[in-house]
Amino acid sequence: MESDICLVGINHRTAGVDVRERFALADCCDMERWALPCVGSIRESLILSTCNRVELLAAGKGDVTGQMLQCWARARKARISDIQPYVYIHRSLEAVRHVFSVASSLDSMVLGEPQILGQMKAAYRKAAACRTTGVILNRLLHKSFSVAKRVRTETAVASNAVSISYAAVELAKRIFGDMRRHKVLLVGAGEMAELAAMHLLQNGVDEILVANRTHARGEDLARQFQGRAVPFERLADFLPSVDIVITSTGSPEPIIRARDVRAVLRARKNSPMFFIDIAVPRDIDPDVNSLDNVYLYDIDDLKEVVEENIAGRRDEAERAREIVNEEVAAFAGWLATLDVQPTLVQLVGRGERLASEEVAKTLKRLGNDDKNLREALEIMACSLVRKLHHDPIMFLKHGCAHQESNNSRISAIRRIFNLDSNT
Amino acid sequence: MPSPESATVLNLAILGAASLSGIAGISARNAFLRRLGVSLTVLAFAGQTLMLLLGFHKTLPNGLSLGAYSQLLAWFVLLGGIIVWRRLRQPTPLLFSSPLCLALFAISLLCLDTAVTLPPSLQSSFYALHIGALFSSLGLLTIAFFAGLLFLSLEGRIKNKQRMPGFWQDMPAISLLDRINAFTVLAAFPLYTVGIISGLVWAGPVFGASVTGDPKEVMSIAIWLIFGVLFHNRLIKNWKGRKPARWTVLVFFLCLFSIVVVNTIMNTHHAFVRG
Repeated sequence: MESDICLVGINHRTAGVDVRERFALADCCDMERWALPCVGSIRESLILSTCNRVELLAAGKGDVTGQMLQCWARARKARISDIQPYVYIHRSLEAVRHVFSVASSLDSMVLGEPQILGQMKAAYRKAAACRTTGVILNRLLHKSFSVAKRVRTETAVASNAVSISYAAVELAKRIFGDMRRHKVLLVGAGEMAELAAMHLLQNGVDEILVANRTHARGEDLARQFQGRAVPFERLADFLPSVDIVITSTGSPEPIIRARDVRAVLRARKNSPMFFIDIAVPRDIDPDVNSLDNVYLYDIDDLKEVVEENIAGRRDEAERAREIVNEEVAAFAGWLATLDVQPTLVQLVGRGERLASEEVAKTLKRLGNDDKNLREALEIMACSLVRKLHHDPIMFLKHGCAHQESNNSRISAIRRIFNLDSNT
Repeated sequence: MPSPESATVLNLAILGAASLSGIAGISARNAFLRRLGVSLTVLAFAGQTLMLLLGFHKTLPNGLSLGAYSQLLAWFVLLGGIIVWRRLRQPTPLLFSSPLCLALFAISLLCLDTAVTLPPSLQSSFYALHIGALFSSLGLLTIAFFAGLLFLSLEGRIKNKQRMPGFWQDMPAISLLDRINAFTVLAAFPLYTVGIISGLVWAGPVFGASVTGDPKEVMSIAIWLIFGVLFHNRLIKNWKGRKPARWTVLVFFLCLFSIVVVNTIMNTHHAFVRG
């Protein structure tokens, strides 16, 4: 092959966070400090450095991976032997497969997470700005973005929440749909409850009320969510006006009981309510879930939803890998045409040169330099050459998928048409 | 100009394509197929409206056959679905109702010839009002039924913390399904009442008494009472969610029984649809 694609990297599976920190190249991806210069064996290069992975991608000829490791070690002021135990190396189509899998989030810590695609696009923009990408990496990266899009559209690998706070928000959407007209009451303060409230706010809920035993802490949180603090002691007074209640207090006893909620429902004219109980021990009496138009999810229920969603994503990942394999095969076809390209150009060029020479000879022999005659002869000669070349060109192109037969086809055409001589 | 038979076959084909595309779009979670399903359903509705305007059903408005009866019912169901789609921006009940309309159309194709023209003594403006009001009510009730059924399935899954794989992911929120149910039930009951009253008023001079004990009359009044309970509780007692959805399903099945069993098997004034 004219140019090979190589990838070296470390990720969350091969190296701990301390190693990833040590060999991160986030600060070596600009014009001033580009860690992987296009010299020696390397013709094109790209660096992807995120919190979960550091990957160097290059296209070149010769000992590309050796040079990549050398550049990486130099940029981090380390020895190659320091990196080597953690590094994975992919070449040719394995590198292509890996790039497609990473872009499609099949290699991510959280399967199907959407951030990696944005990070890859940013890495590509940086490499393009540093002018280190060329025909191969441009095509590879653009293709990886379209593969990621295809995977997202055709499989459910990125659907369904895989965090407790997101799962709570998704359930709220299944109950209420449009969140804009709904109010949330946050009772107590806990990291997960705050996160859920934040996600709900991002989904456009009308208002967040915060009730905390320590009123000052409640006011702080309310400011954070652009909401308002309400007295914890008057919790029952505010329940009829809210649709979603998130509880996360340290109370040993339930603070909301079924009989309280029954009264609240009457006041709300039976409008639905969603209770998210993230506290352990639980803040809400489980009997609340038996009431009509009331939905109660505790931490275990949400965990179960998340686990099911993760399992669902894993099933979908199998389908996604099939898509990646299909796209790798298609990319291999394109890659092989790169080898054929110089022979094709030479073949066509030779034909055009011969046609033009023969036209000149014929005109000289006829002793006629009429413009119309010249044009007619040129058209005829070129058309004849094109028709003669059609079958050899098809013969070359059809061999592209198989490297071995490709090389023998190229060699046969070069010998038949004498493309390696200077005449 | 096409004949009623060829126009029915053409509409049947469009509705068939609409049903296939809609159901495939829902089960395969394909937004394009769902949109195509909605567009084809609207096209079938427009085609059928044209058929009605051009007077393809010679028996209407002074008579009825099982063919015209089924097609008119399908037209009102589609109208109900389109009203809900435009008003509440939710096409799912319309997509679910299109296979039912397809079935009604397929039945109609078999009985287009068996037209019965009402004797002049039975013809009056009350007849058009009776049929128009009842059929529009049934159209809306069908949409309420699909919304209610979908609500019960989806709500049950949320309540019981069951998985929601595949097409469940694309189903509307249960609050919206409840709103669709409320909107259609609250609109359908007054229409049903108008249909029943006009029928009773019309029956007075025609059959000698408003209430003659005809099985269809008894069934319709029983349905009206149950429907009334649902309407009253929806409006006054703030029934929401599971309870009204269950009652809607009950009322729909009673209506279905009334149409399928009473009209076609029992000895009643409404047996004229048999031809």
